[in-house]
Amino acid sequence: MAKRKKKMDEGDVEANLIPVMNVMFLLIPALLLAMEVARFAAVNVTPPKFAAQADQKKEKEDKEKPLNLKVFIMEDGYRVSAQGQQQGAEAGKSADSNKPTIPLAKPGAPLDDYERYNVQALEAEAAKYKKLFPHETVVTISAENSIPMQALINTMDALRGSDCKLLKAMAGEEVPPECYFWQAIVEAGAG
Amino acid sequence: MTPEELFQAKKAAKKAARRNKEEEEGKLNITSLMDIVSIIVVYLLKSYGADPVVIMPTAGQKIPMSKADSPIQDGIPVYISKRAITFNSKKVVQIDENGDIDPASLQNHLIGPLYDAMAEEADKAKQMATNQGKEEWSGRIILVGDQTLKFSTLVDVMYTAGRAEFREYAFCVIQNQ
Repeated sequence: MAKRKKKMDEGDVEANLIPVMNVMFLLIPALLLAMEVARFAAVNVTPPKFAAQADQKKEKEDKEKPLNLKVFIMEDGYRVSAQGQQQGAEAGKSADSNKPTIPLAKPGAPLDDYERYNVQALEAEAAKYKKLFPHETVVTISAENSIPMQALINTMDALRGSDCKLLKAMAGEEVPPECYFWQAIVEAGAG
Repeated sequence: MTPEELFQAKKAAKKAARRNKEEEEGKLNITSLMDIVSIIVVYLLKSYGADPVVIMPTAGQKIPMSKADSPIQDGIPVYISKRAITFNSKKVVQIDENGDIDPASLQNHLIGPLYDAMAEEADKAKQMATNQGKEEWSGRIILVGDQTLKFSTLVDVMYTAGRAEFREYAFCVIQNQ
């Protein structure tokens, strides 16, 4: 008993842990906030059936020849066609060859190198077509079987425009002019 | 009272006072703890409440990066990783090391087990929409793919979803800005 009493007397000076606990607990939300959280977004895709209907409507409304822009992602670049005519092909021929319209930016790079495609050139083409057809928003995208999804998403980004922000447009505001072809139709075997 | 007794009484009083003081110091201040817990709860509620759909990628899945800023709208997610297609938390189809769907499950672009699962889910969703008095069921599907997912596999999944009466598609991406 005497021993115990002595021990109690020795332990009189105790560290006050409450401020430390306060700091520690403040660190939890601070770290949670500082943590890089992945922000998910969606890229809306229109199935071909509904896109055809949308084209028909547009045709009736605008009474102008539809652009019918198509981009085919190949292993060696992009093949772009508009109004049934492949870019660079001879007049009257729907497709000139299997050669790409926009070749690779990094020829010989593996398929999982997502910077191999010349997305800047594709975006410039999209901007050019948008100037000629300001009311067009639809693009049909197709690809070879081996093309990875990231390459498809990069292509969609380029065709939509790198400065395009659709968040406000989704809330009912007008689509900004820097958005080119933001309604993508993904289909197999096009081009 | 003798000086000895007086000394003992003073000593006892001091001891008692010290004891009382110690008891007061030992009290845990819960207010600050409550503040922190409240902050965490509000933060978590806000982050979970922001998205209508909770995307939980499977292990090893790398979701594509994009500049898109459109928020994810309500829909049913389909996870397509390097190894399998997962729907409703169930692995429905295996994907081989080349990124191709198991040939036994594939027939003319239609992925049999995925179609069965999707059709069942579509029936349930339609029934629920009818019970809630909604005129039309949106039939929205969110394709949560992998960066390396082959275009052929993606098309097969989209075709199967279309056959199961899902009419709206969205690719789930991570904003890279």
